[in-house]
Amino acid sequence: MSELVRLTDITKVYQGGITGALNGVSVTVERGEFTAIMGPSGSGKSTLLNLVAGLDRPTSGSVEVGGTDLGKLGEAGLARFRRDHIGFVFQFFHLLPNLTALENVLIPAQLKGTVVPGRARELLDLLGIKEVADKYPARLSGGQQQRVAIARALINNPTLLLADEPTGALDMHSGEQVMELLGRLHRDGQTILLVTHDAKLATRHAARVLSVLDGKIVDDARLESPERTASEVIRVRSEEASR
Amino acid sequence: MSLKYGVMGLLAEEPLHGYEVKNRFEAMLGGTWEVNIGQIYTTLQRLERDGLVRPMGARGDRGKLLYELSPDGKKALDEWLAQPDSGPQQLHEDIYVKLLLATRLANGDLAQLLGRQKRAYLQRLRDLNRLEERARRDGRIDLARLVRGALLHTEADLKWVDELTADAHGGKTE
Repeated sequence: MSELVRLTDITKVYQGGITGALNGVSVTVERGEFTAIMGPSGSGKSTLLNLVAGLDRPTSGSVEVGGTDLGKLGEAGLARFRRDHIGFVFQFFHLLPNLTALENVLIPAQLKGTVVPGRARELLDLLGIKEVADKYPARLSGGQQQRVAIARALINNPTLLLADEPTGALDMHSGEQVMELLGRLHRDGQTILLVTHDAKLATRHAARVLSVLDGKIVDDARLESPERTASEVIRVRSEEASR
Repeated sequence: MSLKYGVMGLLAEEPLHGYEVKNRFEAMLGGTWEVNIGQIYTTLQRLERDGLVRPMGARGDRGKLLYELSPDGKKALDEWLAQPDSGPQQLHEDIYVKLLLATRLANGDLAQLLGRQKRAYLQRLRDLNRLEERARRDGRIDLARLVRGALLHTEADLKWVDELTADAHGGKTE
């Protein structure tokens, strides 16, 4: 594995409040990693994701993605970087209501100047929603909308897939399906950074969990994945047996 | 948890001898509760004494002796199954005592303790996730439900540690 993201001594100060601020964050992410970022609301975890995406700039410190120092890019360069290297999935999907699912998926490709309807249909098929290609977002369930949003995030083959609470607006079943999908993409080699408050879902797929608190990374846990038997993980026992 | 009612529940399905009870009991719980054959025989003898199970046929080689649930046993089992678990909350793990001591002792490092415990809970969540997946894949819905219960408990434990950690930082929680 090689390094894909490097944050060095990042601070982010917001005018008129401390919510979401960052204070001295340094961390690296390897290619192919599935990393979950967890922390209470206002801890700075979404800020962290936005800085990596080039959606926001740090007050000080540097953000490098794939060897590119984002601080050295102007606004146009940053927009190009986002288009070519970043796929972003949001909590509330952000699909354009007057475009069909397929047309929504194609937006980032069109911005890049490529026409790839075949690839878009392939992605919808891969995500199990090819039948909704010509439907408008209002006709789709939350889970379907989020899968369209994931297809849109993947259309330009991003180096890095970022997801900010992608299951936050979904019921449990749809949320599990979306996470299952992210897990599959990861197994196929996709590097993923996921912001979530759901530790159950996060640990199912992410083998690394960063904990953010008050603008700092307070823990960086790398989890193991051995095949453990039930008796190694759970003990159900009687009072007699535990005495 | 009661081995006594576990044994009675299995005998409610069909008459079994001691080794079958042991094997079925352990298989039912996916190996999360191992019992030795001695415990099973002691339990069967007590149940027989109390008229809740009875041996079928002649008492020869006791390993071959089949036991069935008696009508009184069936009644006792039904009552037990209908009864909710309403006793005190069980907190068996050492972390609760460690927490109290780390708070009281001058050299107890609470932040370190919480950090290490959080990692242990995250790892447990990951292990339980994989276990649940495997149980579903194997068609063991009953076992998957048991694991799901453990998973949600661990999630609550993790939230508790997160709250304490935020407390220690003087911050706020969700």
